[in-house]
Amino acid sequence: MGTASYQDRIVTAFTACAMFWAVLGMLAGVYVAAELVWPTINFGQPALSFGRVRTLHTTLVLFGFGVSALIGTAFYSVQRTSHVRLFAPGLAWFVFYAWQLAIVLGGCSILAGWNSGKEYAELEWPFDLAIAVAWVAFAIVFFGTIARRRMESIYISNWFYGALIIVVAMLHIVNSLAMPATLGKSYSLFAGAQDAVVQWWYGHNAVGFLLTGGFLGMLYYFLPKHAEQPIWSYRLSIVSFWAFVYTYIWAGPHHLHYHAIPEWVQSLGMVMSLILLAPSWATMVNGIMTVSAASQKLRTDPALKFIVLSLAFYGLATFEGPMLAIKSVNVFSHFTEWTIGHVHSGALGWNALITFGTFYFLVPRLAGVPLYSARLANVHFWLALAGVMLYVLAMWGAGVSQGVLWLSLDELGEVRFSFNDVMAAMKPYYLLRFVAGLVFLVGAMLMAVNLARTFAGRRTIEVAPPGSRVGAGGRT
Amino acid sequence: MAARFSILDLGKVLFRPGAVFAALAAESPPVTRVFFGFALWVGLLPPVFACIGTLNFGWRLGVEPVFLPRDTVFAISAAYFVALLFGFLSSAVVARWMAVTYDASQSLGRCFALMTIVGAPLAVGSVIHLYPHVFINVLVLVPALIWSMYLLYRGLPIVLRTGPNRGMLMASALIAYLLVAAVSLLGVTVALWGSGLGPRIGT
Amino acid sequence: MKLVSLHRKIERNSGLLIFGILVVSSIGGLVQVLPIVLGDAHGAPAAGLAVYSPLELEGRDLYIRESCSTCHTQQVRPLLAEVKRYGPYSRAGEFAYDRPFLWGSKRTGPDLARIGGKYNDDWQRMHLLDPRSVVPASIMPAYPWLASRDADQGRTIQARMRALQQLGHPYSDQDIAAAPAALEGRTELEALVAYLQSLGRSMAGEPQP
Repeated sequence: MGTASYQDRIVTAFTACAMFWAVLGMLAGVYVAAELVWPTINFGQPALSFGRVRTLHTTLVLFGFGVSALIGTAFYSVQRTSHVRLFAPGLAWFVFYAWQLAIVLGGCSILAGWNSGKEYAELEWPFDLAIAVAWVAFAIVFFGTIARRRMESIYISNWFYGALIIVVAMLHIVNSLAMPATLGKSYSLFAGAQDAVVQWWYGHNAVGFLLTGGFLGMLYYFLPKHAEQPIWSYRLSIVSFWAFVYTYIWAGPHHLHYHAIPEWVQSLGMVMSLILLAPSWATMVNGIMTVSAASQKLRTDPALKFIVLSLAFYGLATFEGPMLAIKSVNVFSHFTEWTIGHVHSGALGWNALITFGTFYFLVPRLAGVPLYSARLANVHFWLALAGVMLYVLAMWGAGVSQGVLWLSLDELGEVRFSFNDVMAAMKPYYLLRFVAGLVFLVGAMLMAVNLARTFAGRRTIEVAPPGSRVGAGGRT
Repeated sequence: MAARFSILDLGKVLFRPGAVFAALAAESPPVTRVFFGFALWVGLLPPVFACIGTLNFGWRLGVEPVFLPRDTVFAISAAYFVALLFGFLSSAVVARWMAVTYDASQSLGRCFALMTIVGAPLAVGSVIHLYPHVFINVLVLVPALIWSMYLLYRGLPIVLRTGPNRGMLMASALIAYLLVAAVSLLGVTVALWGSGLGPRIGT
Repeated sequence: MKLVSLHRKIERNSGLLIFGILVVSSIGGLVQVLPIVLGDAHGAPAAGLAVYSPLELEGRDLYIRESCSTCHTQQVRPLLAEVKRYGPYSRAGEFAYDRPFLWGSKRTGPDLARIGGKYNDDWQRMHLLDPRSVVPASIMPAYPWLASRDADQGRTIQARMRALQQLGHPYSDQDIAAAPAALEGRTELEALVAYLQSLGRSMAGEPQP
């Protein structure tokens, strides 16, 4: 019994870990936000100082929360869209344990001061190797499952998950190339301006293929599933997928406008960033139209509310990005809080909200019981909306102020405001941002409780691939 | 009620919106009435307050105030006014376009009225522009924004006569447009600063 | 539609799909990133650029350990206001010995590309130990532990210099042999200050743009 049913225990494990890392990672974020308002609250402890905890924050939310959610949902959906169980389930569990262990030990190593110095890739070389091995194992399980599928076509969500796996592997390997000096210290194979170009090729496309592409895979499976409606336009998904994969790679240099890299690279990066708007929004239209086509039979549960709102912030983030890539806007926004606001409208508004929506959909199905409290989930919805709105507004105010004050000249043509005065003027925005982050975090904590309570009341259910004779039968 | 939907009903719009929503649901107002009776005045408030505040106190961005030449202030205020009216109208058009998919009322008058109502708390809150200290403005406009969001989520299903579920989804979809419009306004503003309109910038 | 039928082939063959994604996603990198990495023009050191001394190198690795680049950029953009505020704008040749580069992406605190020599060592030390003692409005964390820790506690300076030597930094074997003595008795604080004072010095002789 059970041997022929989908492997959902590993999905549950990834989901639980993703929620854990979400709460811990956001807590670290709220803590560093507080340190910007009250700079002495690290109490002289190296492990609590801003630089290290901020690095921990980005690592935990990106690689703990984000990647755990992506691998878990990929394992869930690839089985159901291929009508087979996971290929090499033992290897799949290896991916789980290796990844979680890498995050736990890697997180500790960051607090201890191990740092490669490369943004969003700060883990040192032993972890880079471990991550690479786990990632390859993930690829084998994922593509092995697809290779054994009993459906003729590979479903769209799997294209996006596939692109995530392949491109992130490429980015990670190239950007992590380094000469180890000791166990905890290595030096990048690239230096100076060359390293900058490689780093932002990595950094921008980690955003592209992990935070955008990967989560679009999630969208393409769970949204039609939830709306019980096929995706609106098959042709649009083909075109937007390939345009997305091709264009994203070029946009990295918009992180280096007016820096010491060649002009043509900057201009190319800017133009490609503008073009990127088309495939990004095509996908959004596809998603919204899918929901709309089903609007007659929709019953609004918390999951769908989150997913639809996440599309709104996806629309904002993918519009704001190309806009900030325009040099005449970038000259004001670069190095300011506006960038931070932009990242969070994507990370909180899009990535976190769609993951929340997906989990509210997924966990009751994994547990075989309804959600513990729909009311609590609705409260979470309003907290999340308020939190992300406040966050984005605070950073818009702060960023635009920094942009104009830093560049302002007086009548004599000298800089008008000292750096310190501008920095001191940021304090209220930092306070507002701290509150916004706290509101968002409280929502996530309510969700963790809600999901844990749901799962505590679970009934054993096993869902078998269609056509197999064992198990409850049917698709969920 | 809907027939005489005008700026004189502002208090009702803000504090007893239920009656206004019901009236709009019962009778679709003509677009011109919404425009001249309500939108024009609501849209006029923020630029007027901002103009007076900027001329008297300068922009207070947390450091010593930045004063702008009179002509520049007038030009910026006029542009602000036009941008707001464009925002009301364009979001009404977008709402009507979305209404097809969410099976809501496709009356442009209703959509327009709804969008101006949603904007009303922010417009009234903009009285704080009289003292253009950015953070104080943010502090006042945040509650106003929350009130606006409340009016949007509450009013949309009633005014546009769709179910609460679809209304909820449509409101979220509209937020996408509003966010994009807001960030575009920011982007255009800083690009204008960079090109010489506004404070003196060294690029 | 030809394209759609071609795509039917791709989406029915997982090998073809993987290959397609790999090819399509590589093009941008090959055309845009590879020429920069292989070209000498962007990796060659500026005329006055010296390689980091052992003490400065130790300081730089501490700068990385504490993630200073989270809040401090090292990149002066060629904008009037920025050059007035910080000094000559940054050129690629200044960063030839920076592994990794530390340009940063966020200016919570001021840019440090030209900080070398702007304040004396005492100011820098006081500022690191208690930022608000010299800049009352500062929101920088204090780094008291730097003063109480010896530089290069792990005795790894030679291994680190050798790794850099292999990557092409002009350290001689004598340099590496003498390094531990240069760090003897110095604290982490002194190392970090030495690094900060080295920043932007290679451009000292250059004319203002």
